[in-house]
Amino acid sequence: MGHRSAGWLLALLPAGLFAGFLRFTPAIEAGRTVTERFAWAPSLGVNVALRLDGFALLFCLLITGIGALVVIYAGAYFTEYSASERARFHALILFFMTAMLGAVLADDLIVLFLFWEATSVISFLLIGFDGASPSARRSALMSLRVTAGGGLALLAAILGLGVTLGSYSMTEVIARAPELARSPWAVPIVAGLLVGAFTKSAQFPFHFWLPNAMQAPTPASAYLHSATMVKLGIYLLARFETVIAGVPLGRDTLISVAMATMLVGAYQALRAENYKSVLAYSTVASLGILVMLVGLDGPMASVATVGFLLAHALYKATLFFCAGTVLHATGLSKLRLMGGLGRFLPVTALASLLASLSMAGLPPFLGFISKEFLFEAQIQSSWNAIPVAIAVLVNAVLVGVAGVVTLRPFFMGRDRVREVKHREVLGLLVGPMTLALLGLLISLQPDWISRAVLRPAVASIYGQPVDVTVALWHGVSPLILLSAAVVGVGALIFVYWRPIHRRLRTESPLDHYEAEHAYDALLRGIEAAARRTAGYVRRNDLRGQQWIIMASAGAFVLWGLLAAGVIPRARFGLSGVRFGPAVVSIVGLAGGVAAARARSLLAAMVATGLAGLVVALTFMMNGAPDLALTQFAVESLVVVLLTAALLTLPIAAPPTRAPRARRLDAMLATGLSVVIFVALIDVSAAPQRTEISAFFGARSYVEAFGRNVVNVILVDFRGFDTLGETTVIALSAVIAWSLLGPRMPREARFLADSRTGPFILVMATPLFYWLLLALSLVVLLRGHNEIGGGFVGGLTAALAFAIVALAHGVGIAREKLRLHPLMLAGGGLLIATASGVPGLVVYGDFLRHVWFEADVLGVHIKQGTTLLFDLGVYLAVLGTVLAFLFGLTREAER
Amino acid sequence: MTADALADGLAVGPVVIPLAAAAITMLLRRLPRLQRTVMEAGVALMLAAATLLVTRVARGETVVVKFGGWGAPFGITFVADTLGAALCTTAGIVALAVAIFARADIRDRRRRAGFDPLFLGMCAAVNGAFLTGDVFNLYVWFELMLVTAIGLVTLDRRRAQIDGAFRYAALTTMGATFMLVGIGLLYGEAGTLDMTHLSQTLAGRAPSVGVIAAGYLLLAGLTLKAGMFPLFFWLPASYHTAPISVSAALAGLLTKAAFCACLRILVVVFGVGTATPSVPGMPALLALLAAATMLVSVLAAIAQVDLRRLLAFHVVGQVAYLVMGLALASQAGAAAAIFYTMHTMLVQAGLFLGAGAIARTSGGYDMRALGGLIREHPVLSALFALLALSISGIPPLSGFWAKALVIDAGFRSVSPWSGWLVAVALTTGFLTLYSMSTLWMRAFQQPSARAARIRRRVPPAMMVAVGLLAGCTLGIGLAVEPVVRLSRAAAAQLTPAPAPRAP
Amino acid sequence: MSVVYAFVAAGLFGCGVYMVLSRHIVRVILGLSLLTTAVNLVLFLAGRIRSAQPPLIREGSERLGESVDPVPQALILTAIVIGFALTVILAALALRAYRAHGTLRSDEINAAQTLGDPFAPGEADDR
Repeated sequence: MGHRSAGWLLALLPAGLFAGFLRFTPAIEAGRTVTERFAWAPSLGVNVALRLDGFALLFCLLITGIGALVVIYAGAYFTEYSASERARFHALILFFMTAMLGAVLADDLIVLFLFWEATSVISFLLIGFDGASPSARRSALMSLRVTAGGGLALLAAILGLGVTLGSYSMTEVIARAPELARSPWAVPIVAGLLVGAFTKSAQFPFHFWLPNAMQAPTPASAYLHSATMVKLGIYLLARFETVIAGVPLGRDTLISVAMATMLVGAYQALRAENYKSVLAYSTVASLGILVMLVGLDGPMASVATVGFLLAHALYKATLFFCAGTVLHATGLSKLRLMGGLGRFLPVTALASLLASLSMAGLPPFLGFISKEFLFEAQIQSSWNAIPVAIAVLVNAVLVGVAGVVTLRPFFMGRDRVREVKHREVLGLLVGPMTLALLGLLISLQPDWISRAVLRPAVASIYGQPVDVTVALWHGVSPLILLSAAVVGVGALIFVYWRPIHRRLRTESPLDHYEAEHAYDALLRGIEAAARRTAGYVRRNDLRGQQWIIMASAGAFVLWGLLAAGVIPRARFGLSGVRFGPAVVSIVGLAGGVAAARARSLLAAMVATGLAGLVVALTFMMNGAPDLALTQFAVESLVVVLLTAALLTLPIAAPPTRAPRARRLDAMLATGLSVVIFVALIDVSAAPQRTEISAFFGARSYVEAFGRNVVNVILVDFRGFDTLGETTVIALSAVIAWSLLGPRMPREARFLADSRTGPFILVMATPLFYWLLLALSLVVLLRGHNEIGGGFVGGLTAALAFAIVALAHGVGIAREKLRLHPLMLAGGGLLIATASGVPGLVVYGDFLRHVWFEADVLGVHIKQGTTLLFDLGVYLAVLGTVLAFLFGLTREAER
Repeated sequence: MTADALADGLAVGPVVIPLAAAAITMLLRRLPRLQRTVMEAGVALMLAAATLLVTRVARGETVVVKFGGWGAPFGITFVADTLGAALCTTAGIVALAVAIFARADIRDRRRRAGFDPLFLGMCAAVNGAFLTGDVFNLYVWFELMLVTAIGLVTLDRRRAQIDGAFRYAALTTMGATFMLVGIGLLYGEAGTLDMTHLSQTLAGRAPSVGVIAAGYLLLAGLTLKAGMFPLFFWLPASYHTAPISVSAALAGLLTKAAFCACLRILVVVFGVGTATPSVPGMPALLALLAAATMLVSVLAAIAQVDLRRLLAFHVVGQVAYLVMGLALASQAGAAAAIFYTMHTMLVQAGLFLGAGAIARTSGGYDMRALGGLIREHPVLSALFALLALSISGIPPLSGFWAKALVIDAGFRSVSPWSGWLVAVALTTGFLTLYSMSTLWMRAFQQPSARAARIRRRVPPAMMVAVGLLAGCTLGIGLAVEPVVRLSRAAAAQLTPAPAPRAP
Repeated sequence: MSVVYAFVAAGLFGCGVYMVLSRHIVRVILGLSLLTTAVNLVLFLAGRIRSAQPPLIREGSERLGESVDPVPQALILTAIVIGFALTVILAALALRAYRAHGTLRSDEINAAQTLGDPFAPGEADDR
């Protein structure tokens, strides 16, 4: 199938939709609206509510009709693109069509917003279609940022409507406009609506994205940026006219912005060099006219809006089609270089001529009628002369532009172009000729259109039926004089275009105020702020980051205390001080201070260990023997392991902070200590609640069969914590093994390794080994009723193997161990986890321990799954400590 | 044993299944293939258990698991309410996606270094944090998260990983220390560790120094782990150094677990958001932190050239939205935050996995060297586009609803600063879109600067993983009603228990 | 008595904080270890110092008599174990960092910062 036929075939889809919409015209003509509703998110008040009334029907016909023509045109236009790119383009066009239809048919504002953003995204993809061109990319990003930024404002407005009126239904909101006007939220909501609409419809100061959007392939420009997408903002404004008018300065804002847009558009249209840019700026000006019409009050304004919408869509799309054909044929883009194309592209020239006459507002074209409506609306409304004058001026410029865009390239300057690359094909002609002829036919035979489409459309936005008479001759009136003035001035502009164009192109101070410069400045500002922020965050200063964290924590607490305004409760009873323990703990504090000030790592390590040992003593003296044992064992083990690890590191560690930094750190440390101290004093002064510990004390023996209450808490009452802790231990083994030693472990090497240590050690080793192993098992078994437990047992067993390693070398120790330490750790974890399963099976509670009683050989044995659990902890600890030990040894041997 | 008891027992599944699987994979360290299979089976079973749990809970029953058979407040309990169950399920989906992706990304050497047990341990810890009703148990799970994260970041033992992991460990341990001090002070004041019992005990009491210090220290610790400014430096220091599967898991899971803990502790235990919280002044502070975090993170993200660093900053920014929902101190705000949490878990992980796939085809993460992906890999481009659009808040994806809910809650809030917060949120949304659109242009549409680079295929495992998460964000966006209902139910259940009436 | 212990605990916490703020990573590790010790003491104090009787149920009785609160002890045990695991992991990391960078100062170890650094000229080497 040739690629040109693809366009025709695909166009059947939008054509079919067009026909489908036509079928609704009888109902619409009769004044009914067609609605459809699906529930989507009732909790949020969002439903897919679709509503077809006259105004929506007008848009739907435009979207599908022009869409079909665009698809045909694109099929013929993309001769140089690959098949996949053509497919991508057509897909995007069809998606876009769906999005536009959804936007105009939606009655639910959230659904409308959905399609609104979809059009922004698809437009972005279409503008940036040629990814290789930097200007296309820049323009695509610009359009997305401006329209989506406006979209955010629109979203805020929609959500605000939901909060204020409790509904997202567009018809309901519009009906309750007076109620909204009374609410304090009215102004921000309307502001959001306006920003959203202005960005979408390229109003000043957001207009600059539209000329840049001309980077898109011309069929896309014809569709999106002239006929459909940019009209979406107008659609929104027209629907919400009553809401906007209800807010003070609502209409004034519309008209002021519109006037500014018209002037800027006209000015830039005369300055522009590219064919498409001229058309783009004239579109900007036309959109300004539309906004102004929405802003004017009175029924004629609505009539003029509808009429101009239709007329503009028809002639602008045609002109874009013609521009595309010209660009495609000649490869040129600057207007000055074009001329005499009429002999190469005759049909295109004819279409262009018809469209330009409509744009110029000459009878008997539709453009003339719509211009008449425009002037009539202005005169009828309550506005003064300035808008009229501006409208005359701008329309005159548009007339001039029309001439420039048609007469110059096609009918004048015969010798500028010698040859064209592509001739006219039917696909390229169907679109422009159809639309151009429509512009003529409608005004000659307006009857059906005005009944079926225009009148219902006007009634939808005005709220009441308005009598619309579309006729070419209304009799002599001020309107005719205005039109004549427009044509006259326009003709002058056309004749003197070159000097005007050249004069405007010279540098002027006005250039600095171009909105696009503001956009660029904004982007530069964002990028600069971004770089500064990234630079600030990137500082590689661990100390600085810690400082901020700790200071923040302290600041948080201070914030809280200030917010609550409380003072600490204190019970400074020094009566219960026992001399011995007090001295011991002060020694510990001294150790901490010494550690902080130590110059060598070894001294710091020893001092830290000392502090830890003192705390262990404190535990001992205050009724926590289990704790003391564990703390003591762990502290010693840490010292041993750290020493082993740090043997390879330099011992001397000069201070790394400048004195000033140290002072700051000391201040922060003191501050945090004070906070902790005060909080501790306050908590100690509170009455103690003993409910939980009393429960444990009462049930530990009776229900959990253990006398060592702490152990019972660890393996039974709060066994799940211990399971988590065991997982931490076991996975630490994994980390230790992967971090220490060679990257690609070659296991076999170590097994043969053995050495002998001091003679005495060698002799005593078997004794120590078995003794410690036995001791560890005893500690494990008795833990439930007396001091001991899985953790200390595991440490003791690890000590046994450590001695073997010391005496005979790691290889022998590993042989004795038989299993890999990670296996032990993993096995331990598995056993501990599995010990919770019987309880799950029997009682339905995980980790509920099951007990067995039996008489074996006259001995009464009572054991439970708690032993399994403790065994799991034992094995995990053993495996992990050995993993570290062996790993460190491997590391040291490198 | 009755079916009810079995179902109750299933509620431990999301934690116990990965723990057991972790142990088994440790035993299988010589057999990487079998190890991988066990890991994948463990993740799948975990997800199944979480799904069963959430379907039960969504019907209105709150499942309570009593470990050891000791009920609250004496033993540790799992309160499988809607919040916990929903987040467990989301975490399960993220874990599944990462596990699938890991087929292509984690080769034998990394598996031998212990990816599977560490990953499973992390999943167990995250689920434990979501479900637990005991503050010390929460602390244990956070420590497990820390340890497994360190292990996973240093899988390759590269210099950058060691550096990143050390900073991560040093900074996060400070946070854990603050948490533990807070827990200790709480226990000293109230004599209990069960969250419901704590809230009962603290309710109705006048604020005191100890409780306030405990509350704010806990806040410091949890906001640190969640990655809020100014305590977030560990995140951009480490997330970009890890293997990409690990970064995805970290981004999708860890910070959100910290936020969930924030929700539970602040709302339930301390009554933040009620008329008389036992720790006053929090919502204002949270709002301040959220606003600052949003702006700093998104601006820093814009300046990045490395894809992983960019996404890491976006992780921080998204968490700020969660905290914003919390700062609004209303049920609508909490519901919005919960919905946003589910959305952002999926999308963040998806973006990282997508970045991994991009790097596989283009040979690196430097955005200046990427380009032309839309032509070479259209499917990957489409999936990544879905995720990028979702995080930017474009409808109908989940990110749009999430942002809309948060802004809506902001509008309904009565706090004087909520307007400013909403303005900051909207600005951040715009800047997020700015960042993502620039990324799209550079990586996908722009032709590559280094045309000579050999283009490699995207492994199917990677495509499936990214597709799963992209599909989820689209699915939630389209079928938004049940998820919103779930979030609202979860928020409604998050009420502090009333003080026991005087006898 | 609690005043003295509270003072010591706060003091140790401060010393730990001071050490953690050092730029030498081994000092940081020692500081974290000291912090763990201090926090354990804080937890212990939460249970109130009131008796020297360990929480062991005597032979013959079925309930715990007057003794120290057993719950903080269990919590501290768990915290000690976890802190131990963390300390050793950090030590292993420090060792690896020294092998990789040749220095123990945190401001000279910058591999993570240079990876993908937006302010660096080219692509960083990730060995």
